[in-house]
Amino acid sequence: MREVELYFGPQHLGMVGNFSITLNVEGDKILKATADPGFLHRGFEKLMEYRTWMQNFPIVCRINVVEPDHMEMVYAMAVEKLAGIEVPERAEWIRSIYLELARVGSHLFGLWAYSNMLGFDTVAQWAMYHRDLILDLFEELTGGRVYHIYIWPGGVRRDFPEGFTDKIVETLHSIGKCVPDYNDIFFNNPLFYERTHGIGKITREEAEKWGGVGQVLRATGKSFDIRKVQPYAAYDKVDFDIPTREEGDAYSRVMVIRDEMIESVHLIFKLIEGLPKGEVYNKVPNPFKWKIGEGESYVRVESSRGELGLYLVSDGGDKPYRAHFRTPSYSHGLTILEKVLEGSNISDVGNIMISMYVVAPEIDR
Amino acid sequence: MKMNKKNLIQQLKLTFADTQLNEHEDDIIKIHAKKEQVKTILRYLKDNMYNHLALISCVDWINKEEFELIYILTSYHDDKKSYKETGDIYLKTKISRDNPEIESVISVFENAEPYEREIYELFGVKFSGHPRLIPLFLERDYEVPPFRKNFDTRKYVKDVFESIPVIPEEEE
Repeated sequence: MREVELYFGPQHLGMVGNFSITLNVEGDKILKATADPGFLHRGFEKLMEYRTWMQNFPIVCRINVVEPDHMEMVYAMAVEKLAGIEVPERAEWIRSIYLELARVGSHLFGLWAYSNMLGFDTVAQWAMYHRDLILDLFEELTGGRVYHIYIWPGGVRRDFPEGFTDKIVETLHSIGKCVPDYNDIFFNNPLFYERTHGIGKITREEAEKWGGVGQVLRATGKSFDIRKVQPYAAYDKVDFDIPTREEGDAYSRVMVIRDEMIESVHLIFKLIEGLPKGEVYNKVPNPFKWKIGEGESYVRVESSRGELGLYLVSDGGDKPYRAHFRTPSYSHGLTILEKVLEGSNISDVGNIMISMYVVAPEIDR
Repeated sequence: MKMNKKNLIQQLKLTFADTQLNEHEDDIIKIHAKKEQVKTILRYLKDNMYNHLALISCVDWINKEEFELIYILTSYHDDKKSYKETGDIYLKTKISRDNPEIESVISVFENAEPYEREIYELFGVKFSGHPRLIPLFLERDYEVPPFRKNFDTRKYVKDVFESIPVIPEEEE
């Protein structure tokens, strides 16, 4: 059979996001896959060098459209570490609640993409609707639906409004009520199982070798989670589990995501229960004149796709000297995807890619 | 002998005599090495607990006429306790700004491949032994690699995008 070069994306029905993979195929079988990013490269890391420390927040949160909140968090943490700023206790807890809400919202968005791609349109609509309910919460808290800029160096922008925690609980309960429906129609559906079982299989050794993090690694049985390993915010003050699976295929990655969502909801309830009283913000210097001493910091948080890091360098000025984001999709989309796609079918490309939850803007930055 | 952080540092000091080792707070060890030694040290660290390469980054210190490459390593831990045992390692090396070149480390860490490609594209650092050192993100050609400090993004944008391109008239 003849070998053909096939451009899968960015304009392709099976592709979600601005990403492209060049496939060398023979019939339906993929011989070689080459990831081709760059359709969304905005040079944010360079632009950050032209803006003051506080001016960078609108840029930082736009690096990842799906989940801007962890981006804010990692940047705020890096600035705090460089400048030696303390965060009040209550702000730490609020940050955790906020980030867990973002995680649930982001996973629901991922569920939308995945179920939509597999043809489970009903589930896709549900997931989008439920994500919208969480966006409503964010809108009430911050004024923005997608980009919030809620976390700042020194704490959070404002305290929870009165009765807000009750609203969180109410919203999460209304989403939680639908979990059995999700299970019936999607997660426990034999069609879904057949479509994803054994697809895009990775062993633990391979995942570690290729720099896998997040659910790609957790689906192979390794419970590597920054919230446990290097606790930030209030994660070391509450007890929670890290769901893992052993199989390492697309099915187990999705099931890990489902279990993670449920665990996150329980975690939010625990955090709300223990939420201490007090200030939410330690004042920082005048942002127009704020200079941070020479130094470097690498901080990491657990975003909904895995280890998200930021390497931030200051030369003593009022702007960052260099910023470099370590995003989870980078290894997943550029290293692991290429290796896993070899030998699989064209119809599984989108399936494998979204099961690893590759988000293109995060790769390009 | 069971490897822990303390005797790893000792071993490192013995094996690589002319590297500089600093321990910092927050469980961070900073190693300053010569560029020829980077690959050997990385392989040594990988064999001794530090099996997760989190990031390769590059900083352009234009006033000192050098690039600094940073390899951030840690280990795939399960919890806080095991993280305390190893912590993070920042392996740093300095290379000259004119004709910068360093050996690729893909044979040690496979996920280094896109990072090296990115640094090659944005800073112009060549990685010898890299199997496909081709552009990763960018479409246009630049005279100066765009993430270097002497590339003025604002001027470039003004020059390229703020004027209506003049189409030269065809000569009769």
